[in-house]
Amino acid sequence: MSGFFGNDLAGIAGTTIAALLTIAVWSYLAGERRLFAWVQHLLAGLATGYLVLISVREVLVPRLVEPLIDDPRGNLVLWPALLLVLVLTLARWLPRPVVAVPVALLIAGTAAFALGGAVVGTLLPQLAASLLPAGATSGGMLNALAGLVITALVVVAFLHGTRSGPIGAVAAGTGRWLLIGGLGGWLGFLFVSRLALLVERLRFILVDWLGLGR
Amino acid sequence: MMARQRGWRLAVRRDWRVIAPFALLALLAAAVVLPNLAPPLSLANPDRTSASGFRAAIAALPTKPLVLVAFDADFGSYPEITYATRSVIDDLVQEGGSLAVVSYSPEGRALASAELERLRRGGMGDDRLLDLGYRSGVEAALVQSVTSIVPKASSGPIAVRIRGGGGGIDAFDAALIVGGGDLGPRIWVEQVATRSPELPLLAIAPTFLWPELQPYLASGQLAGLLGTLRDGVAYGVDRADGADSEAAIDGPPSALAMLLGMLVAIGVLLEATGDRLTSWLGEQRLARRP
Repeated sequence: MSGFFGNDLAGIAGTTIAALLTIAVWSYLAGERRLFAWVQHLLAGLATGYLVLISVREVLVPRLVEPLIDDPRGNLVLWPALLLVLVLTLARWLPRPVVAVPVALLIAGTAAFALGGAVVGTLLPQLAASLLPAGATSGGMLNALAGLVITALVVVAFLHGTRSGPIGAVAAGTGRWLLIGGLGGWLGFLFVSRLALLVERLRFILVDWLGLGR
Repeated sequence: MMARQRGWRLAVRRDWRVIAPFALLALLAAAVVLPNLAPPLSLANPDRTSASGFRAAIAALPTKPLVLVAFDADFGSYPEITYATRSVIDDLVQEGGSLAVVSYSPEGRALASAELERLRRGGMGDDRLLDLGYRSGVEAALVQSVTSIVPKASSGPIAVRIRGGGGGIDAFDAALIVGGGDLGPRIWVEQVATRSPELPLLAIAPTFLWPELQPYLASGQLAGLLGTLRDGVAYGVDRADGADSEAAIDGPPSALAMLLGMLVAIGVLLEATGDRLTSWLGEQRLARRP
């Protein structure tokens, strides 16, 4: 049971529509392109409508418009945000120096948060956690050595075009294969998610909608 | 004669490729409807380290905890973690906990709304459940949430409790991060744990994020992690064994269907590899001819 729909009339209607749309998507397997294209358009339209709704209802009105109307002088920081919204929607005619300030603030803020967090929250703590204690077991040392060798080989694989001898070429080749192996493993993990999605959709249609196997 | 045989083989192969998706759907459908064909099959991980660690992290919370549920799953991977997520939420509710749900991605917000509706239909009132809505701004919004997370319009006992605790993430006893989208447990560790180091972070994430998140569990930056389908099912199954029937949650994905799907995937991989190998051997043979 997906649990997303109740047992009332609205729930039954929702379940039926969702099941029919799922079957419409699968119709692509039977070569039905028009129905599939229609469902794609429906998804695109719904997603756009949803994003507009959520932007207006939960972001622009309560976090930008209302505070500016309530206290325009107390919310000075919000004026560049309003300028950015205008730039992105209506006021493309504004001169570049005016546009550049809020856009620069947006990009710089995003980059600063991401970079600062990555260094303080990931890089340094993970380096600290990777350091071997004085009384490390042989297993721990072996793990660390394996990690070091694999990291070095993958880094070598990234040195495209750098002149290297036969040993360097072998190391780069090994690093490339390790990289491909890692990507393959990650795709395998992703496959589990997608398979669970397919199995859940089948269960939704057969059990929730058709009532089989309950 | 040989040309006809080759043509027949190609036709069979083409027909089979057309039929194969439907055959796979039929096979999986049979496995879903008839789940008891292979009762010994279980998706639950026999190694309970992650599941028991997660349970221990929940047990370490104070009584009637106030938990922030950061719901940022994505549509493509949420079915994999639905069972684990609902099991954990149900456990927190059984413990007498209060939940405040927030999302930092539009996709997560859609799923959070559906889950909030499900909880309300289950009888959870506003005294135990608060919708903090959607916060735009990704990392910047997370950082702002550390000091201010309750919208002005929010009211009720949980909103009062959060405002009484400072109005930010520090007011919570723990954060449960339901990941899968762009803003997952890693960003929480980077942006929130560095600013609120005392807050226990519990994470539920689909399997493809496990390699990224496991080091954070090992380093202690995450208090608990259900990072694979098998760990999530193990958590839910252990819980269902001890819980009363009223608290039973919808089951995990069919183990038989998952096994069959994986076997088919391996078969497709082997077939593709065999094809490549055959054509490579053919090229080598042609190259050796004078």
